[in-house]
Amino acid sequence: MRGVAVTGMGLVSAIGNNIVEAHTSLKNGKEGISLPEILKTGLKDLPVGEIKLSNSDISNILQLPDDHSYTRAALIGTLAIKELLSNSGFDNFPEDTGFISGTSIGGIDKTEEHFHNYKDHPEYRKYIQAQHPGFTTEKIAEYFGLKEVVTTISTACSSSANAIMMGARMIESGKLKRVIVGGSDCLTKFTLNGFNSLKILSDQKSKPFDNDRNGLNLGEAAAYIMLEARELIGDKKILGRVSGFGNANDAFHQTASSENGEGAYLAISQAIKKAKLSASEIDFINAHGTGTRNNDLSESVALKRIFGDTVPDFSSTKAFTGHTLGAAGAVEAIFSLLAIQNAEIYPNLNFNSEMAETGLVPVTEFQKKEIRTVLSNSFGFGGNCTSLIFQKDE
Amino acid sequence: MSQNLFIRNSVVIRDSRVWRDGELIFKNETETTLSKFLKAIYKHQNLKYPKFFKMDSLSKLGYLGAEILINGEIQDKNTALVFSNSASSLETDEAYAQTMQDFPSPALFVYTLPNIMLGEISIRHQLRSENVFFVSREFDASLYIDYSKALFQEKKADNVLCGWVDLHNNDYDVFLWQIARSGGIDFNEEELKKLYLPTHE
Repeated sequence: MRGVAVTGMGLVSAIGNNIVEAHTSLKNGKEGISLPEILKTGLKDLPVGEIKLSNSDISNILQLPDDHSYTRAALIGTLAIKELLSNSGFDNFPEDTGFISGTSIGGIDKTEEHFHNYKDHPEYRKYIQAQHPGFTTEKIAEYFGLKEVVTTISTACSSSANAIMMGARMIESGKLKRVIVGGSDCLTKFTLNGFNSLKILSDQKSKPFDNDRNGLNLGEAAAYIMLEARELIGDKKILGRVSGFGNANDAFHQTASSENGEGAYLAISQAIKKAKLSASEIDFINAHGTGTRNNDLSESVALKRIFGDTVPDFSSTKAFTGHTLGAAGAVEAIFSLLAIQNAEIYPNLNFNSEMAETGLVPVTEFQKKEIRTVLSNSFGFGGNCTSLIFQKDE
Repeated sequence: MSQNLFIRNSVVIRDSRVWRDGELIFKNETETTLSKFLKAIYKHQNLKYPKFFKMDSLSKLGYLGAEILINGEIQDKNTALVFSNSASSLETDEAYAQTMQDFPSPALFVYTLPNIMLGEISIRHQLRSENVFFVSREFDASLYIDYSKALFQEKKADNVLCGWVDLHNNDYDVFLWQIARSGGIDFNEEELKKLYLPTHE
């Protein structure tokens, strides 16, 4: 059997604080988009995918000491991995467990909160180093006593997809036997204002792939999966396999995707080739589908270039969770694995009419259907395009 | 499997000066700002690339270093980019954060990630090849050597453009070089450190 086995997963997002809650929301078409309540921002009218747990709520769940220095990304990341631990069959992660975490924002939330206090309040200075994305990863590793390879990948919105790719490669090459891969990103004023300044945030709930789409909703999430080498599996349940991956630079614009979707096209092609599949063997695509004018058109063009007139069933789940930036690749990896295990397709919400340019229609209703192979796309600023392929264990 | 790799050429931009292959090719005589120094290099090199003027200083440093290093075009479109620095995109992160108090600047926000510099170089030379950007505390010769060797071993590239492009509080430190299977100086830690920090004559 080709591909690296997935043996555990954990997820916190706007549609649920664990996998079961998220799965229920996906099945019932219940999105998690709201106005910001926990994030303190002047941009009160922009819908977001916010996790309705405050930092102190999560600190209590995790039983952290009062003087801890966890960023929000570290808090939700730890919560997600706690779930992963509980369904991985271990009491504690074994010593040979690696940890690769993707994040775009790192600890900017703490800089925003405390920057002006650093001068007069030494007690906040512990957060100065928390700005570094690696700090968030180290805090999560510290919580679980992870001491093997611990590293951080920050490539904007493809961060956690790249973390999954790197983990799979390290298992394949024998560098690691077991690794937790995924990512965590929280909402911040920095990103909300930044995306707003680029005029790519919608003031409504996002409508991926719709002809009248007018932008994305930002979200926050943490999602991790466990990858294990063949010799460690034994009689463990395999949730699916990472069988293909590809990454390419779009080489077009700092933040926009090219008209012909070249980077996406190359990443998808590489992933299909790596999995030794033909395009016609892809059963379902979890699209990047942010809901911006630019991404959805560019991605659609890339899909048509790969699949011609027979584009497989596809949908974007970003209307459920918001665009969770560095965590998105891992969130959608979990949705892809749920689709495979439960023989289900989760709908692309808020869709009314197909794009004039391509005429592509996503799946808009929940469906039961045998899914053996899923392609999942994640494209990031800087032109960093990544595609992953998940397959049923059979 | 061992293999012989060579440093084909190098560029250093430091202290208002530019060196190519160890030879001083440009020097700002008077004390000036970083942005004026960068523009002076652009003019001196006779470059014609209007996108330069929209870049943040980190991307400008990377772009200019690459232009001087390759002297025109990157012929091999499969050239991999292996970059690193210490301060990530912090200079622009700070500048963007300043604008948030008034009107958040989209022109700055797009540069608040270090991999944008790789994007800019990829756009200029139409590279859709392997690229990676490491953040490490200081210049780490062994990181470049290990990573580049792996790229050659896995046949991912026949030419690798490496770069250390650091910028913080207007202090900049730029060192770029190309690695190939033939020509030039042996690619090892000692030679790399010599090129990065030459002893003063």
